[in-house]
Amino acid sequence: MRSLGRLSTTIPLVLSTILIPLTVALAFWWTPEDFDQGLSQKIFYFHVPIALTSYVAFAFGAFSAAMYLWKRTEVWDLRSYVGVHSGTIWGTLVLLTGPIWAKASWGVWWNWGDRQINVFLILFLYYCAYFMLRFSLDEGERRRSASAVFALLGIGLIPLSFLAVRIAQTLIHPVVFTSGGAAMPNSFLLTFVVGFAGMLSLMVLLISTEMRGKRTAARVLQLQRVARGEDA
Amino acid sequence: MIPAALAIARVKLVLELRRREVIFAMLLFIAATIVIVHFALSGDTGAGSRAAAGMLWAAVVFTAVLGLLRTFAAEQEEGALDALLLAPIDRAAIWIGAALAQFGFLVVVEVVAVPVWWVLFFQAGGPSIGTVVVALLLANIGIALVGTLAAALALGARTRDVLLPVLVLPLVIPIVLAGVTATYGAFGEEVGGLRPLGFLALYDLVFVALAWGTSEHLLGD
Repeated sequence: MRSLGRLSTTIPLVLSTILIPLTVALAFWWTPEDFDQGLSQKIFYFHVPIALTSYVAFAFGAFSAAMYLWKRTEVWDLRSYVGVHSGTIWGTLVLLTGPIWAKASWGVWWNWGDRQINVFLILFLYYCAYFMLRFSLDEGERRRSASAVFALLGIGLIPLSFLAVRIAQTLIHPVVFTSGGAAMPNSFLLTFVVGFAGMLSLMVLLISTEMRGKRTAARVLQLQRVARGEDA
Repeated sequence: MIPAALAIARVKLVLELRRREVIFAMLLFIAATIVIVHFALSGDTGAGSRAAAGMLWAAVVFTAVLGLLRTFAAEQEEGALDALLLAPIDRAAIWIGAALAQFGFLVVVEVVAVPVWWVLFFQAGGPSIGTVVVALLLANIGIALVGTLAAALALGARTRDVLLPVLVLPLVIPIVLAGVTATYGAFGEEVGGLRPLGFLALYDLVFVALAWGTSEHLLGD
């Protein structure tokens, strides 16, 4: 069990130290400059993987919340918290890198007509509230299940926000910006996949490190209690 | 389960009739919100404008949050919540009853506020009132649902009154988006037809299902 715990941090550590520099190298030296957007398109290899990874982290948080409600073991509550926590940190990065790209290619810091970034904003606001809820409840069963229910409801909010933004958008404003996904050359796609794999392994590293920290903290608390002779 | 939920909703409505704690506050609040939004967007919310149509949705959502602050408050103060939790009824009934009462409060407030809003801004022609009414009714269900859910989650939180708006507002953004689109559509412009209304119904269904699935864990032990 202990060696497995080490592996779950070592493997993503190795992968991310290789893949993330590799993404930088591929993005700047290998892929040709985008005909339309020029140098600013390079942020695509970082912004989009970060955004997708942050969705993965939120999904992990919601999945662990469901597992908690089913199994009722504390470790799933911790996993759920760590998932939402990492998702929010990466969400901040998404909301920082998005405007940089928007400014460079569309000339505005925030494009209220863009579907993805607006859905992301709703989701980000929602999961920020998770921390307020969690930390204003006293530690214990009630806090664990309330946090789990809230994390789980986000799963309903994501598709609904996409739909709502789409309905409001296609009806009020025409959709101006479409991603040229299908027209992507192979070198773009490969760099993007490497970037995504790198960000994913960094996320796994973050989650497993934070989980280890949390478990160690819980163990220390328990040992302190034993040392004071309170309970075993 | 349904009789239990209806009984809980009835208790809440009777209490409100006797004490008049929530609805009057909501009415004053929605009036003040409409006036504030109108002056804040001064120049854009003239008679017949789209901004005046959108203003209603902002006011409805904020007013709903104000009303939600008192959900479960009476039960908590009088200690009835423990009794309800011990009662041999489905947990879902407590929460559905509270949501029904909340829905009732919203309808009462809108019955007064929407005609006034209409007269003030759209007497010379505006969105078709039928569409707006259907959109509001569907939205009320969704707001009451997620609002009561959030209120149940925030029970026992140290900062309950501050917490509740933060939990509810991101959840109702999709409702506002679809509601506003439906209202614009009701101006007779060629925008979307029934899709926003369909979306509001879908929203209600999704959150009924999610809330039903999690209601065992909602109110604590």
